[in-house]
Amino acid sequence: MAALDINNLVKDYGAYRAIKDVSFSVGAGEFVVMVGPSGCGKSTLLRCIAGLESVTSGSIVISGRDITLDEPSDRGVAMVFQNYALYPHMTVRQNMGFALRIAGQPQAVIDAAVTRAARILRIEAQLDKKPKALSGGQKQRVAIGRAITRAPDVFLFDEPLSNLDAALRSQMRVELGRLHAELGATMVYVTHDQTEAMTMASRIVVLNDGIIEQVGPPLDLYNYPVNRFVAGFLGSPRMNFVQAKVSGLTEAGVQLTASGLDGNLSVSVADAPLKVGDLVTVGVRPEAFRDDPTDGWILNGAIAVIESLGRETLLYLDGGPLRAFDSESHEGYFAVHRTRQITARHSDKLRVGIDPDAVYLFDQFDRAIAWPNAHTTNQK
Amino acid sequence: MTHFSRAKVIMYGFVSLWSLFVMLPLLWMVLASFKTKRELFMDPLGLPGKWTFGAFERAWGVGMGGFLLNSAIVTAASVALIVVVSGMAAYVLARSDSRWLRLIYLLIVAGFAVPVQAVLVPLYQMISAAGMLNSLGAIVLPYAAYGVPFTTVLFYAFFLDFPRELEEAARLDGCSRIRTFFSVILPLSGPAVASAAIFQAVFIWNEFVLALLMLNNPSTKTLPVGIIALGGEFTSDWPAIMAGLCIAILPILLIFVLAQKYFVRSLAGLGK
Repeated sequence: MAALDINNLVKDYGAYRAIKDVSFSVGAGEFVVMVGPSGCGKSTLLRCIAGLESVTSGSIVISGRDITLDEPSDRGVAMVFQNYALYPHMTVRQNMGFALRIAGQPQAVIDAAVTRAARILRIEAQLDKKPKALSGGQKQRVAIGRAITRAPDVFLFDEPLSNLDAALRSQMRVELGRLHAELGATMVYVTHDQTEAMTMASRIVVLNDGIIEQVGPPLDLYNYPVNRFVAGFLGSPRMNFVQAKVSGLTEAGVQLTASGLDGNLSVSVADAPLKVGDLVTVGVRPEAFRDDPTDGWILNGAIAVIESLGRETLLYLDGGPLRAFDSESHEGYFAVHRTRQITARHSDKLRVGIDPDAVYLFDQFDRAIAWPNAHTTNQK
Repeated sequence: MTHFSRAKVIMYGFVSLWSLFVMLPLLWMVLASFKTKRELFMDPLGLPGKWTFGAFERAWGVGMGGFLLNSAIVTAASVALIVVVSGMAAYVLARSDSRWLRLIYLLIVAGFAVPVQAVLVPLYQMISAAGMLNSLGAIVLPYAAYGVPFTTVLFYAFFLDFPRELEEAARLDGCSRIRTFFSVILPLSGPAVASAAIFQAVFIWNEFVLALLMLNNPSTKTLPVGIIALGGEFTSDWPAIMAGLCIAILPILLIFVLAQKYFVRSLAGLGK
């Protein structure tokens, strides 16, 4: 039995439909991350699960029990908020035990639950402090501790790391991963940060404009996005997209031309009804550009921006008349990722190749019709 | 002298003059309470020839202790009623999108426009018909009714900015709406409650007209009405009246000094 079932969920705000007939299941012990851009409906969906928003239609089932109309506290969920939502007038201990106190549990039970959660989160020393005396990371731990003491069927996280600095965020990511493994709990986590989604999730739900674009394990989504939105959303820097035209058909696939790039690119496409003259989008991951191009498309560009991160380097190439669209930079630069240090300067020339075996292809409706060969042979 | 500092001097000069204008009558009241009747009329602006507490003794003798207690009870009860009623009302109004509740909010705000003098007669009849004349309830209820609009507006602005996540966290923790209000919202509304309470306490402590109308029995009189007993038909004991007034303003002055910060903050926040 799934721990959480969302069935045909619809949420309207007046005439605006925020969630459009969404369905998915979360298995027991799974860590599901809902990810998407601002306004895609991910937080609304989480709040519907928590009972903080009513649903227009559809149902929510937790451990086989339809909780669509239940009060938030009767749903068997606990939620961790982005800005912690700790009660400022209570100590950490009181904050963590508040739900049990409201439920009328004996003091001994409350104490035991609080002590256990504090030990798991290593905040025993903070128990008698007020929230204002805690750092951001400690506050977030207390917020998680408050959820743990309730021993819910499903943990809900609403962008819990957004208020933390970068170092603390990566530390908390590891902490949450450990917590998930230790508790074996079912967790639903909302974020707009694809790095959090990729690193923590058992499965990712990609939402866009109130609908689910794709659901699957992180690497499946990264390697086999079903459309251009998912391809562009997962991966940092984003995938580079180039507009191309089908110039010929071959036995294995299609030949493509693109304005600003010399020659044809032969891409294997299985079962896609393409014909000469069709417009397609070619996607290239920043790490997929070749350094020593011999065939395929060759991109001659000038380095516009260089970001040296120590163990890796990000280069943004100005392709002259050729522009990447919907790219990481507003100027249409091509993002190139290298796993080594590169000594280069602004305006230095760089020649990289677009390997036909390393490109994604999207049709005119932005549906993916070809994936890099390496992934294809791995999976199919 | 720079332009800025000249402006500062003018401002400080104006504020100092204004402060003197307000403070001098109070100073005269304090000095007068230490004078004899004769001194008060022979040398009204001078210092007392001999500092004596006789006026305070005479004032206390007419039952100031009882009046003080009545005023304290009436003020505490009215303020508590106002804070709880308008707090709950403002919370509901601030959290609701209902058009009807918005209309009710407008009606509450319109309550400001009704002067107490305009409803004195019907109010008297209602209290009389309820058999409440000469009881403290006879003024507690009208005071509370008159305090609610102002305090509701004050709380309403405060609750609009109150973090909703705390209420949502309380709902997830199992709190009902009413429990959320009393366990989470009210304890965190200290500044708003304090400023509302101070405003209302000052008004109620000093209120005269309603108290004069509703309370005739000396055992239920509040301070402003009780002090009148020191004034006769043909002659008045002015030093004792001034001493009575000094006693009357002392508690409220103490509260103001202790909670000055909230008082100023609430005034500053009224423009929201």
